[in-house]
Amino acid sequence: VILGNYLTSAALFCLGLYVVLTRRNIIRIVTGLSLMEASTYLLLVSMAYRKGSTAPVLLQPPGGAKGEDLARGNVADPVLQNFCLTAIVIGVAITGVFLAVVVRLAQHYRSIDTDKIRELRG
Amino acid sequence: MSGLVPSSDAAPAALLVVPVVLPIVGAVLAPLTAPFNRVLPLVTSILAVSASGLVLLLIARRVYGPHTRVLVHYFGHWKPIGGQALGISFAADPFGLTFALMSASIGTCLLLAAFSELGRLGNRELGGFACLFQVLIAALIGAALTSDLINLFVWFQVASLASYGLSGFFLERPIALEATFKLIVMTTIAGFSVFIGAAMLYAQHGALNFGQLRGSLARGLRTADLIALGLLVTGFATKAGLVPWHGWLPDAHTPAPGSVSALFSGLMVNLGVVAVVRVCLQLFPGTATRHHMTGMLLVAGVASAFLGGILALAQDDLKRVLAWDTISQMGILIIGFATANAHSVAGSVYHMISHGVFKALLFLCAGGVVHTTGLTKMSEMGGLLRHRTSLAIGFTIGTAAIAGIPPLSGYASVGLIHEGVKDSNSVVYAAVLIAQVITVAALGRAAYLTFYRKRAQPYQELEKPRTGMRVALGLLAAACLAIGIFPRELIDTVAAPAAASLLNRDGYAHAVLSSGGTLPHLAVHFHYWLASELLTIAATVAAGLLLAAWYVRRDEPRAVTALRRLHTGLVNDYATYAAAGTAACLLILIS
Repeated sequence: VILGNYLTSAALFCLGLYVVLTRRNIIRIVTGLSLMEASTYLLLVSMAYRKGSTAPVLLQPPGGAKGEDLARGNVADPVLQNFCLTAIVIGVAITGVFLAVVVRLAQHYRSIDTDKIRELRG
Repeated sequence: MSGLVPSSDAAPAALLVVPVVLPIVGAVLAPLTAPFNRVLPLVTSILAVSASGLVLLLIARRVYGPHTRVLVHYFGHWKPIGGQALGISFAADPFGLTFALMSASIGTCLLLAAFSELGRLGNRELGGFACLFQVLIAALIGAALTSDLINLFVWFQVASLASYGLSGFFLERPIALEATFKLIVMTTIAGFSVFIGAAMLYAQHGALNFGQLRGSLARGLRTADLIALGLLVTGFATKAGLVPWHGWLPDAHTPAPGSVSALFSGLMVNLGVVAVVRVCLQLFPGTATRHHMTGMLLVAGVASAFLGGILALAQDDLKRVLAWDTISQMGILIIGFATANAHSVAGSVYHMISHGVFKALLFLCAGGVVHTTGLTKMSEMGGLLRHRTSLAIGFTIGTAAIAGIPPLSGYASVGLIHEGVKDSNSVVYAAVLIAQVITVAALGRAAYLTFYRKRAQPYQELEKPRTGMRVALGLLAAACLAIGIFPRELIDTVAAPAAASLLNRDGYAHAVLSSGGTLPHLAVHFHYWLASELLTIAATVAAGLLLAAWYVRRDEPRAVTALRRLHTGLVNDYATYAAAGTAACLLILIS
């Protein structure tokens, strides 16, 4: 099951990268970066998973288990999930700034083609 | 290394958070106070950043010196138990602390210059500018002091976000937007790379603390670790502007105001170098037998030194010359660190300080020239020696410092790197010398075209120079001299301990896990008036000036035009170069 997650994540990452490398439409580049970002979330959550594990925090331990059993038991790694949350927050901030820049670029250049927005070169 | 920590360390270690908190508080206060009075953001930001520098100095008194100490602070007092760290910690080792001190002190000078250059902005803009500037400085200090991999990633992202705001600050300038757009695309991809690398290391080793990771990695490297190494280094190399991850750098420096370019080039780019060095030297077991990373860094360093130098020589835009030269200098820094012997590493630390100061000085002068004349192209400038003598003197001092003319700062730092590289690899040594010649030529040409040659027609009108700018230029020029005049003191108290922290990997790791510790003394001998070094410098300067004179008189060589054509200005191409570089790096690492 997990191998499938890794493969999906890699495929998403490559798809996003492919879009960034080949598309000249800035909106598509933003989309490509978002795809790459989503693939990192999938990768991290998958890395946190262990076979048959449960959520790390439970109000009511399942199946008559005690809290102490859970501490030693098979739970998904909360730290990696936490990274995901951090990355989502950062990602939203960056996408926000990026889209603001895209709006301004579109206003100035009347175009969202990267080929038309390259005064700085060489 | 003693596990015992003197109680006198506890107080300065508890202060470690303060240098990061102060600029953040200033960043909150500046936009809040700006509507009332336009001077308030200036005062709050300068006070906050300089106070942060003073606190760092207090900490530095305990860290530097012959008995080098590493001070550690655990957030929430979550101390490691049995070598397992759960919380985040800050550690002041001589290497990180040097970068933090640099950021605070040069940052203060740049704030002064920024506000005198941008004095005509409205209150709201001034507040916002001061906020972003301080957030960036806080992120640099945080990245320098942290000893936690994900925390380093977070500071990297904070610095990136602040840099997007600063580089796109003048939203009405189309090229500023264009540059910001490229900066965002390249840095975001770099961010993914770092993020995945850090997560992979955590998934493998269950650790993020540098000390704990170091111990775990020393037991053996698996393929996943090597991929993580490649991802981390290439991600941070993007920030450092190393070839082939450099596409964003020249563009981001061109349209920004002089002080912002100076902040980017003198300080922010070094964040990448510091992080690369931490990962390569302090985290991963070294030596070429374990992995090929240091070898590849040498290649990237030489490529950056050459490409940066050649394209700096070919530019017509004054600030672009300096930006390309930054790539070249980062290459030299990485060569020194990757060579990894006492002299080269101490030399690179020295050169990092020296580069921060002279590049800030040069960018302020260039910004001053652009501000006074309203021109950006050197072909339209000239004769500014007579009109703006202070800028001419500042630029000349900076150029002489890069060229390594004694007693300026570049002489000792470049000399140390030469000494370290000479013994270990003669091909790299030759490359460093040739790159040095090209650098001298590029900067010499820029100084000649801007200041020293005659201009046919007089300038229409020139803006008046401002006091704050002059003070900042004076301070930086004085620092350039001071760093060059007291090399013995600087090497003994700062550069050699920093090299000890990087080369004595286990000392740092042990200290980070055990509430601090001491580092062994590392002897770095440097003979200031060594005849061979003086001759080398004289030869490179002479060759550089000849090259500049030759280059000014002729058309652009075809090879240089081809190199310029490679930099199409298309962000897709830059991302392709970077992705190809990362892919090659990963393939070589796991092969």
